[in-house]
Amino acid sequence: MRLTGIRRFHFARDAEEALSLLAAYDGGAALLAGGVDLLRSPRGDIEGVIDITRIGLSYVRESRGGLAIGATTTLTEILASAAAPAYAGGLLASALSQVAAPPLRNMATLGGALVSAHPWADIPTVLVALGAEVRWQGEKVGKAPVEELYGTAFRGLFRRAVALEVVLPPWEGAFAHEKISRTRYDIALLNACCGLGLDGEEIRWARVAVGARPNRGERLPWAEEALIGRKPGGELWNEVQRLVESRVEVGDDRRAGAAWRRRTAGVLVRRALARAAQRGET
Amino acid sequence: MAVETQQGGAVGQSVRKVDGPSLVAGKPLFTLDLDIPGSLVGAILPSPHAHARIVSVDTSAAEQVPGVRAILHHGNVPRVPYTTAGQGWPEPSPYDTVLFDTKVRFVGDRVAAVAAETEDAAAEALARIRVEYELLPPILSPEEALAPGAPIIHDEPDAEGIYDASHNIAAAVDIPIGDAAAALAAAPVTAEATCEIPYSQHATIEPHCVIAYFDDAGRLVVRTSTQVPFHVRRIVARVVGLDPARIRVVKPRIGGGFGSKQEVLLEPVAALLALRTGRPVRMAYTRQEVFVASRTRHPMKVTVRLGATKDGALHALEMDVLSNTGAYGAHALTVLSNVGSKTLPLYNKAPHVHFHGRAVYTNLPVAGAYRGYGATQGYFALEVAMDKLAEKLGLDPVELRRRNYIRVGETSPIFEKIGEGREGTAQIVRSCALEECLRIGAERIGWREKRGQRREEGPWVHGLGMACAMQGSGITGVDMAAATLVMQDDGSFRLLVGATDLGTGSDTILAQIAAQELGVPVDRVLVYSSDTDFTPFDTGAYASSTTYVSGNAVLRAASDVRAQILDVAAAALGERASALELAAGVVRSRKSGKSLTLSEIGHRATYVTDQRQIAATASFACPESPPPFAAFFCEVAVDRETGVVRVERFVVAADCGVAIHPQAAEGQLEGAVLQGIGHALCEEMLFSPRGRCLNAGFFDYKIPSSLDAPAIEAILVPSEEPTGPWGAKSISEVGINGPLPAISNAIYDAVGARMVRAPFTPERVRFALGVIP
Amino acid sequence: MKLSFELNGIEHYLDVEPGEPLLSLLRRLGMKSVKEGCGTGDCGACTVLLDGRAVRSCLMVAPQVQGKRVMTLDGLGTVNDPHPLQEAFLECGAVQCGFCTPGMILVAYELLTRTSDPTPDDVRNAIAGNLCRCTGYVKIVDAVLRAAEWKREGRWR
Repeated sequence: MRLTGIRRFHFARDAEEALSLLAAYDGGAALLAGGVDLLRSPRGDIEGVIDITRIGLSYVRESRGGLAIGATTTLTEILASAAAPAYAGGLLASALSQVAAPPLRNMATLGGALVSAHPWADIPTVLVALGAEVRWQGEKVGKAPVEELYGTAFRGLFRRAVALEVVLPPWEGAFAHEKISRTRYDIALLNACCGLGLDGEEIRWARVAVGARPNRGERLPWAEEALIGRKPGGELWNEVQRLVESRVEVGDDRRAGAAWRRRTAGVLVRRALARAAQRGET
Repeated sequence: MAVETQQGGAVGQSVRKVDGPSLVAGKPLFTLDLDIPGSLVGAILPSPHAHARIVSVDTSAAEQVPGVRAILHHGNVPRVPYTTAGQGWPEPSPYDTVLFDTKVRFVGDRVAAVAAETEDAAAEALARIRVEYELLPPILSPEEALAPGAPIIHDEPDAEGIYDASHNIAAAVDIPIGDAAAALAAAPVTAEATCEIPYSQHATIEPHCVIAYFDDAGRLVVRTSTQVPFHVRRIVARVVGLDPARIRVVKPRIGGGFGSKQEVLLEPVAALLALRTGRPVRMAYTRQEVFVASRTRHPMKVTVRLGATKDGALHALEMDVLSNTGAYGAHALTVLSNVGSKTLPLYNKAPHVHFHGRAVYTNLPVAGAYRGYGATQGYFALEVAMDKLAEKLGLDPVELRRRNYIRVGETSPIFEKIGEGREGTAQIVRSCALEECLRIGAERIGWREKRGQRREEGPWVHGLGMACAMQGSGITGVDMAAATLVMQDDGSFRLLVGATDLGTGSDTILAQIAAQELGVPVDRVLVYSSDTDFTPFDTGAYASSTTYVSGNAVLRAASDVRAQILDVAAAALGERASALELAAGVVRSRKSGKSLTLSEIGHRATYVTDQRQIAATASFACPESPPPFAAFFCEVAVDRETGVVRVERFVVAADCGVAIHPQAAEGQLEGAVLQGIGHALCEEMLFSPRGRCLNAGFFDYKIPSSLDAPAIEAILVPSEEPTGPWGAKSISEVGINGPLPAISNAIYDAVGARMVRAPFTPERVRFALGVIP
Repeated sequence: MKLSFELNGIEHYLDVEPGEPLLSLLRRLGMKSVKEGCGTGDCGACTVLLDGRAVRSCLMVAPQVQGKRVMTLDGLGTVNDPHPLQEAFLECGAVQCGFCTPGMILVAYELLTRTSDPTPDDVRNAIAGNLCRCTGYVKIVDAVLRAAEWKREGRWR
């Protein structure tokens, strides 16, 4: 096997040290958590690697009804945590167990998935749907909703900052995630994550996100608006399915075509809504 | 059955694989597990262009890279036209390849090679080789290749054996029997199907790799992951210009083959780098290189037309094939021939048969041998057409097969007309349990109850489909295998075979065949295989040959050794050999009851009286190729809304004669079926408009994982092949021929859409179901 | 740089290039059971257990195992004294070419250290990141289930 081009390896003791090392390399270093993305295709310009798995960022905590998850927490650790199964109607358990095979989940971290933000990935769609917020430490401590961040040049930000924590807000209701892939642990050809909160006979809030379109997961605010205040049920889900089919932005890539994605996005949203509603009831 | 009259008890038992204990312990058994001090690393510079002439190669900067020891390119390597296809002689594939050419013909074609002290130095050197190309228009489909005025891919004057280079046709076959066109026109009922298979990959988990080094006598040793060590030796000698007597080829354990290692790819390059540097050289393809620069299945478009009487008797059969052999014609003719020769005899009743096909060059990766070897492509179209015909006739698809398949004692003119690159050999079928396969398979899947029910489960609709297939057991008139069996002084045995165990278990099976004859447990037979210095010749592990061809050679050697043992015992006991029997490691006289153990006999022959080595070498040339048969049944569920297809259950019932090692035979079926399911559902190499492979890796070329595999039920239905060793025929390939048509037919049963282009992706299925806005 | 870690129960102190893939280091140390099938983490042939968890050694660099426990198949059993899980692979015919086998046994081992009573689906799920092209997985799943049975019967050591 070839060497990776990495010349120096550092275990950061804390975020500050990671940052000062990053600064010292002036762009020639990268942070390493799970390593799945960094080492799959090592960048030629990376000379130094700064391991941040030993700075105390691996945890899953309940936080004001939601969850706070340390950036270097592996997907396996999230799945195994006490708090995750109950959150958002069990969304994390069902969505993360469809992401990559177990040995990769033993390595891949939530922060890595957030920062890599692959367009075909499931986690960005889930984070956007959940309204997750990320906290980081750069020159100063910052925080922003993931959705907002993805609208900016976030990759540049994380070359100079350490993602610390992902905060998942409390939701009274439930979410569900749908995914189509070629094999079970494949990347998504298309995914959807939807959540609903009910107030008696009425939908109080709704979240709808579709990803791997082939672009990264984004919310469909018009679909959410079409749901809020309405009576949940098959008819409404069908209506939203048609709405998504007519308005969702999709494209072609080598894995699937736009026409199929358009049609299927509606189906996945409908199914996710139906399942979320079902979970919310129980 | 013959087996029951024998007392060794080895045949028909799933004994422990002879190489199993060391494999599960992770011992260093594979090609690259051997560290040879001072080894250089070899690497290949691939062409970035699909079609170009090389104007110049400048290696001066590359030579300056510290640690670089040799650079090969067309300017410093003799030009010897050859074929990379590791086949018997005369080689049926065209000599359209040279080690380093002045032209590149696909993205990934070999431009130059380096040997360096480290992988990094080799990579650095490759990056510094300057090549000037003159771009030529690429041909990216067989249709373009055949278009008038198309650029000529093989315009080199020294190529040999190309059917029609000026029209990019590597090989062509045309076999008319009777008048199929007229018979089709007159047939009361007809059906037609055109099915397409894309580029797909064997995806052995071990990439191709080799170490070339010199032994203490200065001879070149090529340790390589190959299915054909003897062909490697012959071809490497010719291509690098070395006396074959100076070359030893060793095949250690290898990590899968499926046909992709029936190809001589890295060996001559490593050999030449070793010769130029005088140093050991290791080479391995990266996974990406395996995808683009090893071999693939031949993409094909196959059209089948069937004409039948109203009661379902096939009267005319027409098969038209357009095969894409890629940039070079490795196996172009023989794979093409097998599309017909391994399929059409299955329905031998039709008096009118026309098989017509062409294999054409394109500027895409090179196709080669892949399990099924054309039959897989042929059966896809044939068995979908049969499903259509059954529907038109209002006949159960199983019943339609029953009325037409070949029976024991019958023949097909195809056997004689189509061989491997030449005429075939007339033969009759001496064993066939397809009737039982059909009965058992149908029963197991619940054919009567479940077919046509379109059972729904939310958006999922269930359907059932089936298909039949046969293959062969070795290549008639071509394959030859030899075995040497030696009795040791302690009464145990050494079995030396040229046969090549790819993981199939052939070392074990061959030991069982010998042990059965010798009346000893398998662990008394030590097997050493696939070493051109120490084992006798064998054409290699391909064409489903090893159990049948190599097995027969082993059986002959064993029966010779058995006779010698009885002779020694007869002399020792003072009795006639005919009065003696050999069982459980003891020779006993039926007359006197006196006995001698094998260990006493070995000791006596070695040290005591009338001293000699009890040993025999025997060979077997393949006079006929008895087909194994299989019936495939599957249940699928189709998501009408998304087009996702799930294979719920897959039943395969196969007749491989007597299964020497039932567990290994089942394993061959299970593995072949899952590869076929991969072909059906997800496997396809994709190319850019300039011919670059877009998914050369497991990230984006998906092969089924354990979660994608349905419950596969492999059922062995015994028959007894009178010409086979202990009644055995082959099993390794036949299982891959069924999944494509069976799944396509099951999708049709579920949702009424005919899937004729593999793989049946959600998108394609959804489109087939109806208009997508 | 200096690296210390435990490999199959033995402490190692050595000098490594910081950019050396763990896979390469382990093979250099003689652990030839760790195979390279793809180099991109997709096939699982290079699987090792890191503090008891299956990981891809091709997607790690050597320094990442500092202070940790690495187990390769070499640490499980031997030819003459195989672990029951290895026995089960043999008995069930779960090995064809054997190239995926080391990784496959290790992910199965990880599963069976956490549960002695896995369902067939648990097994399929646990091994799903390890590609096998020979077997169709049928007999591999059988083997892991048999090993689990043996574990429940107290035949593991």
